[in-house]
Amino acid sequence: MPSQTNRSGHNRRTQKTRLLAIGAMFACLALIFSYIEAIIPFNAGIPGVKLGIANLVVIIALYNMGPKYAFTINCIRILVAGLLFNGAFGAVYSLAGGVLSFLVMWGLKKTNLFSMAGVSMAGGVAHNMGQLFVASAIVSNLKMFLYFPVLMFSGLASGIMIGVVACVIDSRVPKQLFR
Amino acid sequence: MFKFIKKADIVLFFVLLAFGIGLSALSLFTGTSGQKVQIEVNGQPYAVYSLAENQTIEITEHGHTNKITIKDGAVQMSYSDCKNQICVNDGQISKTNQSIVCLPNKVMVEITGGEEEFDAISN
Repeated sequence: MPSQTNRSGHNRRTQKTRLLAIGAMFACLALIFSYIEAIIPFNAGIPGVKLGIANLVVIIALYNMGPKYAFTINCIRILVAGLLFNGAFGAVYSLAGGVLSFLVMWGLKKTNLFSMAGVSMAGGVAHNMGQLFVASAIVSNLKMFLYFPVLMFSGLASGIMIGVVACVIDSRVPKQLFR
Repeated sequence: MFKFIKKADIVLFFVLLAFGIGLSALSLFTGTSGQKVQIEVNGQPYAVYSLAENQTIEITEHGHTNKITIKDGAVQMSYSDCKNQICVNDGQISKTNQSIVCLPNKVMVEITGGEEEFDAISN
């Protein structure tokens, strides 16, 4: 039946287009969150302590659209945010943190043992760890890791917060959006 | 309300928490009051000063300026022309293993000396 195959092929293509459009929207949303984070004066006086609200978008994408889309959204977000508000220097930090946290979140998600909150928590810690790696590489001194405990606690706290919010949002987002 | 949290989450949370507490305990309790202020610029040793001597050091490298003040056995970054001013807000340090880092200007102030050297001898 040619009309049937034609139809299903058409459906697959519309689905791909739809995911592409939603992915682009998600990247914009993540970018807006980055911007909000850049302008709100949430600076606890400790370097590297951040809320990480942009991670909300990445987690939702990871769970609903798959790792490929989530990774692309994350990278686009970091690069564009780097060009727009953080400076190229800041983008290097963010990229290291973003990639490491993405890999950790993807790995933990694959084990199916953890909830969104747990995945996000580990992602928050990994993000800070990645940034510290780059920082210590730039200053070429491993003593930078003395900052690690502070960043670890802040990563834990913000990761849990973002994870819980992501759980709530994920249960409200209509799933047919991603089909 | 928090039904979605699984057992593995809680385990992971405590593992990370214990790791963090362990690390901070390590960095808190291994520090003794130091004697020397070591300054590194761009990852290279720049100069060493005594903690006992009150003075202000001005560093101008690669077009960036940082001022480091040593006063009453404590060091602080009193001025920096960097954008984020994190190093200036860090405040004073006086113990070994403590450091102030100004990442934008790649300046690092570290405290060395103190009892660490005696440990090396007794070993």
